[in-house]
Amino acid sequence: MRNKLLIFPAAAIFLLLSLGGSTFAHHGFVSWYDMSRSVTVKGTVTGFDWTNPHSYIYLDVKNEKGAVEGWRIELGAPGMLARAGWRRDTLKSGDEITAIGNPAKDGKPLMHLSKIVFANGQELATAL
Amino acid sequence: MRNRLIFSAGAVVAMLALSPAPRSQGAAQPGSAPDLSGVWLVEKFQPVLFPNGGAPLQPWAEAKLKATNPQTDDPNLACLPEGVPRYMISVPYPMEIFQGSASVLIIHEGTSVLRQIHMSRQHPKDLDPTYAGDSVGKWEGDTLVVDTIGFNDKTWLDGGAIPHTEALHVVERIRRIDHDTLVDEFTIDDAKAYTKPITARQVYKLKPDWEVHEYVCEENNKYTYQGK
Repeated sequence: MRNKLLIFPAAAIFLLLSLGGSTFAHHGFVSWYDMSRSVTVKGTVTGFDWTNPHSYIYLDVKNEKGAVEGWRIELGAPGMLARAGWRRDTLKSGDEITAIGNPAKDGKPLMHLSKIVFANGQELATAL
Repeated sequence: MRNRLIFSAGAVVAMLALSPAPRSQGAAQPGSAPDLSGVWLVEKFQPVLFPNGGAPLQPWAEAKLKATNPQTDDPNLACLPEGVPRYMISVPYPMEIFQGSASVLIIHEGTSVLRQIHMSRQHPKDLDPTYAGDSVGKWEGDTLVVDTIGFNDKTWLDGGAIPHTEALHVVERIRRIDHDTLVDEFTIDDAKAYTKPITARQVYKLKPDWEVHEYVCEENNKYTYQGK
């Protein structure tokens, strides 16, 4: 299946409304990411840092030209993520997921995550 | 310097055992202080106090604010403590309040800093400046009034880089307005930095099933600290 990069304005509105969410970490998310836009990427997990102050998903994403881009997807702290249903083994290398969140302002393959969608369609959000 | 203040849960228990708390579970009983203990989370994350600008800053402080880039200069990116009042207002992680008659202790998950509010003494005369300052409290009816001085000048008031000096003075009026809701009203003054006191308000919701988790900021802050 071909992976695509998609922008959903409706999702962006949702994310703006969720800015006050409890899992919204405080280490510069507002500064680094364009919180008015949403981006969706689908790819293969290559790593998962379950760490403070922030957690990270590393995702290999095939762009429209067929080249693989390595995305670094930023989440909040494990404490708050655990309260939202995440676990240290929620993801493992090789998992196919779709990630939805705010893109970096500078266009780099970085994202502030809102939620993931597993291959079976199950969703897991970062907000409580 | 690092903010890894390792506290012992046993020590906290021991301190509180020496100063038994009034356990009225929320609503104040006549003649007794309300019980503020429990795990609380900010109702609304307030990353900046003045989202539209207009902080009452003296010219030097205004110039310092304009010369600061919150994206790269935030001391907290290096895991230094947010300090008071920032971690009471602008940190979206829970805090646990332990209440005794001699002191009220606050452990904040987002900083792992232990805040002590001394209930049985005044401010010492010669304070070493610190991130959280020196807090003393007293009850005025159902309101815990906390007076804090003795700050260093290494923190910001919020995530928007509002500066202050060691003359910072914070007064908080903390009240449990119902079983599930705590309100903290702040009056923040600094005669060397502001043209008038700054006021702020934060509301916290009780999280009865939560525990405060370990949070070691230095564990993996390479992206936040060293940039993207």
